[in-house]
Amino acid sequence: MDKAINSNNIPLPPAQPLSGDQSLRERELAELSEMKARLEEANGILEVRINAKTRALRELAANLEKEMKERTEELRRKVAESENSRVALMNMLEDMEDLRRRAEEEREKTMAIIANFSDGLMFFDARDRLALVNPRIENYFSINKAESKNMIGGRISDIVRFAPMSPLGEVFAGSLERVSRRELSLNEKTVFEVSVLEVAGRAGKIGTLLIIHDISREKMVEKMKTEFVSIAAHQLRTPISAIKWTLRMILDGDLGPINDEQREFLDKTYKSNERMINLINDLLNVTRIEEGRQVYNPVVADIEEVIRGLIANYEDMARQKNLNLSFEKIAPVVPTVKIDLEKIKLVASNLIENSLKYTPAGGKISVTLGEEDGNAMVEVTDTGIGIPAEQQDRIFTKYFRSANAIKAETEGTGLGLFIAKNIVEAHGGKIRFVSEPGRATKFSFVLPPAESD
Amino acid sequence: MEKILLIEDEELIIRLLSKKLAAIGYDVSLAMNGEEGLEKIKQIVPDLILLDIVMPRMGGFEVMAEMKKDENIADIPVIIISNSGQPLELEKAKELGAADWLVKTEFDPKEVAEKIQKYINKN
Repeated sequence: MDKAINSNNIPLPPAQPLSGDQSLRERELAELSEMKARLEEANGILEVRINAKTRALRELAANLEKEMKERTEELRRKVAESENSRVALMNMLEDMEDLRRRAEEEREKTMAIIANFSDGLMFFDARDRLALVNPRIENYFSINKAESKNMIGGRISDIVRFAPMSPLGEVFAGSLERVSRRELSLNEKTVFEVSVLEVAGRAGKIGTLLIIHDISREKMVEKMKTEFVSIAAHQLRTPISAIKWTLRMILDGDLGPINDEQREFLDKTYKSNERMINLINDLLNVTRIEEGRQVYNPVVADIEEVIRGLIANYEDMARQKNLNLSFEKIAPVVPTVKIDLEKIKLVASNLIENSLKYTPAGGKISVTLGEEDGNAMVEVTDTGIGIPAEQQDRIFTKYFRSANAIKAETEGTGLGLFIAKNIVEAHGGKIRFVSEPGRATKFSFVLPPAESD
Repeated sequence: MEKILLIEDEELIIRLLSKKLAAIGYDVSLAMNGEEGLEKIKQIVPDLILLDIVMPRMGGFEVMAEMKKDENIADIPVIIISNSGQPLELEKAKELGAADWLVKTEFDPKEVAEKIQKYINKN
């Protein structure tokens, strides 16, 4: 290596002309020292250069190592990262699977409930197309699975065109209108009760649910009870009506003249008999209410006419008891109502009769017809004995009579107000009262207006 | 003179009602059960029939159903006079074409006579 440096890298001084021995010698020495100095200098430069190269190499090696380390580290990090995301992804997938499974389970549960529900169910989606039918429907209408599947997607108007489902056409003219407990006879023995419910979720209407409930058994029991009551009523009413007719004809003079004393006794007997008739009627009404088979035949009616007619019936009685019975329409317009005439007459009669019974002579009974919150309102106000405060909460209870009422009038079944309340509520109305014992009582009942359909 | 047939099994009611109706001036015929009643309807062809529901041998509903089969007598107005007035019964009577339904405890002979006048005048 040194040789190579010598021959290649160190420039030699150029040859000088000699001048004498001494000067030659001196020149040689000078040249030698010059060469030495140059050699030393070259050596120094070399050393510096080698050192520099070595340092550079070392640095390079160090840098490389460092970079390698960094890259490795980065790689490791990336691998770890991707592992993490893989795990995260797996977890997410698992969670989703779990959710899906749970949703599926919930759906299965719901479907099982629907499938095993004791009522027939048909669900129509928000566009009124059949989305779901449960097996009970197939049962009720004697159709098979394929036939029931066929109906899916159809509107009710399509479905009723399918012969086995046609009885539903009786309930739905063409569209899915809201129906509540409409009876539908399939045949002599089978009677259904059809209801339609709108199903709403958080975002609004989800669809419509048609519920079909088999009431054949109830209908049969109802029929048997009707027969029983009919027989009992017949047994009781036969002798009572014979007594009524006989007394009436004697009192009317159809069977010859009677004297005043005979008339007085017969008249009292006639009235007792009438009370017996009322009692039987009340009992029959209560039986019907309790069995939930009170049948209402609502018709659109002018309530003013109804009340006026009733007042006329009680004018004689009021005069005899020296009571002032009046009627007034206090609202310019009273809503038209849809009522069962006989039953609403019974309600008003019960209230007026109570006032007549429990108002001392010289008192006042005023019947008014008005309006409250769009409802028709009938009020019967009297200056009677009132209802004791501590007994007011029991006044509509069956067979209950307040202590002062019993004292004032021994006759009475305690059924009148119970019946009245049931009838008013069956009409969607309300009955209430305010009473000041010993001074006055006011009974009011409101009836909702007839729907304009 | 309008002919009225009273079909009723209770003797007291028959006697009272026939006396009242005769006094008003109707020609009253009587039958004590449905079977006899149906025979008399065909024989007399009355202007109006007063018909009880619960009777031995043949009930009122059956009489009405039978009447429907004979066009000579199918359109004679029938007023039911009964001791009961169950909604199901009323419905059935309506279906069979009864003109009216009177519960005996709610009416007396005078009022029955008034009802009769209403339906005879109509025809």
